Amino acid sequence: MRQHYTDELEQLALQVELMGVLVDENVERMQTVLETGDLTSAEAAIACDDRIDDMNVSLMERCYELLRREAPVAADLRLVVSVLRVTAELERIGDLSLRIAKLAPEHHLLVASPAAFGILGAMADHAVMQYREALRAWSTFDLAIAERVAAEPPVPLAGRTLIEALLDYEGHDAVMVSLRTMVAGQALDRIADHAAVLGARIRYLITGDPDHLAAEVR
Amino acid sequence: MSPDLTAATEPVGTSGATDVVGPNEVATPSVVFDVRELAVYYGEFRAVRDVDLEVHQHEITAFIGPSGCGKSTVLRCFDRMNDLIEGARVDGRILYHGVDLYDPRIDPVEVRKRIGMVFQKPNPFPKSIYDNVAFGPRLAGRKKDLDDTVERALRRAALWDEVKDRLGRSAMGLSGGQQQRLCIARAIAVEPEVILMDEPCSALDPIATARIEDLMQELKVDYTILIVTHNMQQAARVSDRTAFFTTEVNSESDTRTGVLVEYDKTDKMFSAPSDERTENYITGRFG
Repeated sequence: MRQHYTDELEQLALQVELMGVLVDENVERMQTVLETGDLTSAEAAIACDDRIDDMNVSLMERCYELLRREAPVAADLRLVVSVLRVTAELERIGDLSLRIAKLAPEHHLLVASPAAFGILGAMADHAVMQYREALRAWSTFDLAIAERVAAEPPVPLAGRTLIEALLDYEGHDAVMVSLRTMVAGQALDRIADHAAVLGARIRYLITGDPDHLAAEVR
Repeated sequence: MSPDLTAATEPVGTSGATDVVGPNEVATPSVVFDVRELAVYYGEFRAVRDVDLEVHQHEITAFIGPSGCGKSTVLRCFDRMNDLIEGARVDGRILYHGVDLYDPRIDPVEVRKRIGMVFQKPNPFPKSIYDNVAFGPRLAGRKKDLDDTVERALRRAALWDEVKDRLGRSAMGLSGGQQQRLCIARAIAVEPEVILMDEPCSALDPIATARIEDLMQELKVDYTILIVTHNMQQAARVSDRTAFFTTEVNSESDTRTGVLVEYDKTDKMFSAPSDERTENYITGRFG
C-alpha cells in the first residue's frame, strides 16, 4: 500500500547518499590539494560544490513537498526530518573541504613547516575516515557504525600540537604560514566534528529514542 | 477520590468501593480509568480481548485502528453503553477511580451522569436549543439556576455567542458543527468528569472539525476526554495518549477479534512506535 510514497522515501534516502558521494569526491580532492597543491583538483572541487548546493536545495524542496502532501509519521517522519538535518551537515562538510581546496595556490605555505604539515596530514586522514564511516552509516542504516562515528572524540591535542609546531617555525613567512595552516587545521577539525554529528543524527533516525535526540545537543 | 456510583437506595460508600478494588490496588490520583484484561462478548462472539490501559486525568486519550478493531466497543464500556445491547457481556475490569464500573452494585445511570458521551453524528433532540442543554439537569431534578447552567454549558462548548439570541429556536436549524457543539454542551451541562467522543468530527467539514478540536483542548482543563477517531492526524493533533487497536482473524471460526496493540504517549506513538503493527498502520502500510 502507498507504493508510490514508499518509493519516494526510498528515492529520497538514495539521493542523500548520492549527495554524500559528491561530498566524498570533494573531501578526496581536499586531501589531494592538501598533499600536493594540485590546482586542477581545486578547480574541480569548486565546480562540484555548486552541484552539492543544487542537490541540497532540491532535497530540501522534496522534503517540504513530502511533509505537505503525505504528513509522514513514525519512521517516515524521522527519515524526512533526518534528511533535512543530514543534508545540512553534508553541505557544511562540503564547504569546509572547499575552504581547504581554495588554499591550493598557497600550498607552499602549508608545507613550509614540516612538523605542522605532518599534523595536518594526520588530521586529514582522521577527518576523511570519520566522514566515510558516517556516509557508510547512512547507506547501510547500521546502528553500530552510526554509534561508533557519533562516539568518536575529536582529536583533542591536534589543535594544540599544531600551534606548538607553528610556534617552533621561524621562517620569514611565519605569520602567513601560521594563518593558512590554522585555516586548514580548523576546517579539518570541523569536518571530523560534523561527521560525528552525522553519526548521532543517523543513530536517532534508526532508534527513534528521545534520549538519542537529546544527546545530539552536546 | 472514590465516587459513589451505587443506586441511591443502596448506599455502599467509600469503604464498599475499597472492598471492590482490594487493599493493594489503590489507583494513583491522576488515573481516572484503570482498565484490566477487558474483553467484550456479543453472545458467543468475542469482539475485543486483553485490553489493559490507564486513562489519565485532564488528558485526551485517542483510540485509533482499522474498522472492526473494537475501539468504539471499548469506548462504550466506559459509560456502560454496551449494557443496552442484548447479549453483550464484559469481562475483566474497568476501575473508575478505583471503583469497578461493572460491580453489580453500580448503577449505570449514575455512571452516565459522570461520564458523558458525544456521538459520531450530531444527535440533538428535536427541541429548542435551550431545552437540549437543560435536558440532563432537568432529568436530574435540577430546577434552580437552570438559565445559568445552560449559559455556562453553551459558553464552555464555545457556542453561546452564536445562539444566545435564539435559544428558543429549534436545535435542528443549527449547522452540523453547531449541532455537535450543542451535543457537547448537553453532555457537559450535567457536569460530568469524563467526556467520551465517538468520531465526533467525522460528519463535519474541516472548519467545524478545527473548532471541535480547539474546544477539546479547552475542555481538557476541566474534563478527561476519550476520543475514537478514524483520522490519525486528528489523534496526533489533539491527544496526549494514543491506543492503537487492530483485528486478529481467528482462523478456526473465521471471526475477528479486536486487540490493543500499543498504548503510549501520542508523540512517542507517532514518532517512534514500539510495535511494527502500529508503525505499519499509522504510516499507511497496513496489511
